[in-house]
Amino acid sequence: MKKLAVSIFFTVAMTALFIVSLQTGILHLSHSFFSLIGKHDSVDATTVWEVRFPRVVGALIIGAGLGVAGGLAQAIFRNPLAEPTLIGLTSGATLGSVAVITTGVAAYGSVLNALVGVSFAFIAAFFVQLLTPNKGNGFLLTGLAISAVLTACAGLLISISPKPGVQSLAFWNFGSLTLLNNSTVVMITPFIVAGITIALLVTPKLDGYSLGDTTSHFIGISTNKVRFISIIAMALLVGASVSAVGAIAFLGLLVPHIVRLLIGPAHRALLPMCALVGASMLALADLLARTVAAPREIPLGLLTSLIGAPALIILLRAQRSQWVDHD
Amino acid sequence: MIEIKSISFSRPTQRIFDNFSATISPNCATLLTGANGCGKSTLLNLIGGVLTPDSGSITINGIAVSTLTAREQSKVRSIAPQRRIFDLAFTVNQLLSIIHVARRAIHHSEVFDALEIAEIAELKVTELSLGQQQRASLALALIQEASFYLLDEPFSAQDSLHQERALELILALAKERGILVVAHNSDSFAARFGRVFPIRTVVR
Repeated sequence: MKKLAVSIFFTVAMTALFIVSLQTGILHLSHSFFSLIGKHDSVDATTVWEVRFPRVVGALIIGAGLGVAGGLAQAIFRNPLAEPTLIGLTSGATLGSVAVITTGVAAYGSVLNALVGVSFAFIAAFFVQLLTPNKGNGFLLTGLAISAVLTACAGLLISISPKPGVQSLAFWNFGSLTLLNNSTVVMITPFIVAGITIALLVTPKLDGYSLGDTTSHFIGISTNKVRFISIIAMALLVGASVSAVGAIAFLGLLVPHIVRLLIGPAHRALLPMCALVGASMLALADLLARTVAAPREIPLGLLTSLIGAPALIILLRAQRSQWVDHD
Repeated sequence: MIEIKSISFSRPTQRIFDNFSATISPNCATLLTGANGCGKSTLLNLIGGVLTPDSGSITINGIAVSTLTAREQSKVRSIAPQRRIFDLAFTVNQLLSIIHVARRAIHHSEVFDALEIAEIAELKVTELSLGQQQRASLALALIQEASFYLLDEPFSAQDSLHQERALELILALAKERGILVVAHNSDSFAARFGRVFPIRTVVR
């Protein structure tokens, strides 16, 4: 019942955010956007369907993807601090995107750009796995170190590149939905849908997986396979998002914590709910980013950090009964 | 039948098994006894396919464990480790639903009754007493459908009443399945097992 109530709440929130986001912006619509449905012949219509629509739809899709990626990362590393950013996925995707754009191999928003983002994310996460000392929690530190190197390399490429299309370091590091247009959203959607689908395929195994490698094996779960498939799913989700909107901080870390607090830790319900909550949160964050200081826009990543980090601390304290320390 | 044929196994600093052989029969309750650190849990991990012997072979119903996938192994044997890691605050019901209802052994309701699962079903595993946790963990192993059940210290944290009920359950189940119980404090119940392997068979 609680699950039903929570999913209804977030579905309603998502719909409301969708409508408000289409309606709100620097340009004041002379009528409600409902009257613009199916029309493309006015400034209002262009603003709504060519600017706001891709942006809010992109926010919902990317938010859902990052929420699921965060839930999956915490599950497969059995760690409440795991997040795509901390295990090399985000910085790998950033370096991949920046590399192809600066060398002129692919343009921002192209399928190739997203593909390279996904592959680099996968390779980076794979290296973090490979270099982590004996399976322990060292992976977070290893991930942090590798992320720092990859982000620095991306920064170097941006600094020396004469290409104007590469965007600023701030765009990649803080993330922004400003550049989203209908064609970019159409381009990344299949990646996100594939990532979420693959994530939902391993979901039934994640409860058993959470009991540790030995018990997982005893009940018939091949943990290496689960990890491998999950990393592919996360690479698709994070790689495609980063290639389009840069790195959005804290969303992947925060969303699963909120969901666990609301409906408990069972993954079959957790991951789909992470998609709902992630979508709502990113749509809300982007709405705030472009309205709070209008007509100026606050970088999205700054906003998610500013809200996300304190929220995470509060949640972690409230949630001590959800994760247990074995020390 | 589980056949352990002259296996050797060493940890980096310690030889645990040297040319060790044993069999675990179907339709029989076998008790493996021995002091802490003699390799009882290691033996379960070897049979369970988590560890691989340096030499020798382990077969279940004639098939080498090393040739089976995790899923295939889980269909022929079920293992309750001495300690389970509970990171997440599942309820006992959620924990047990890891073994999907459709895949549970026919005897699962007997297991739930004997281990008094109903009274802890809605509690969080992370907030259970050690004894309750052990019952939940034992139930998880016993509802998995398999021909052999290997239970590592299944009642070390139980009071005498709960120990007796768990023991009766295990002995009843062993009429149609092979069950191996590992226990180091077994004087009070060793005589009720069909076979007893004392520590001496395990070479340090």
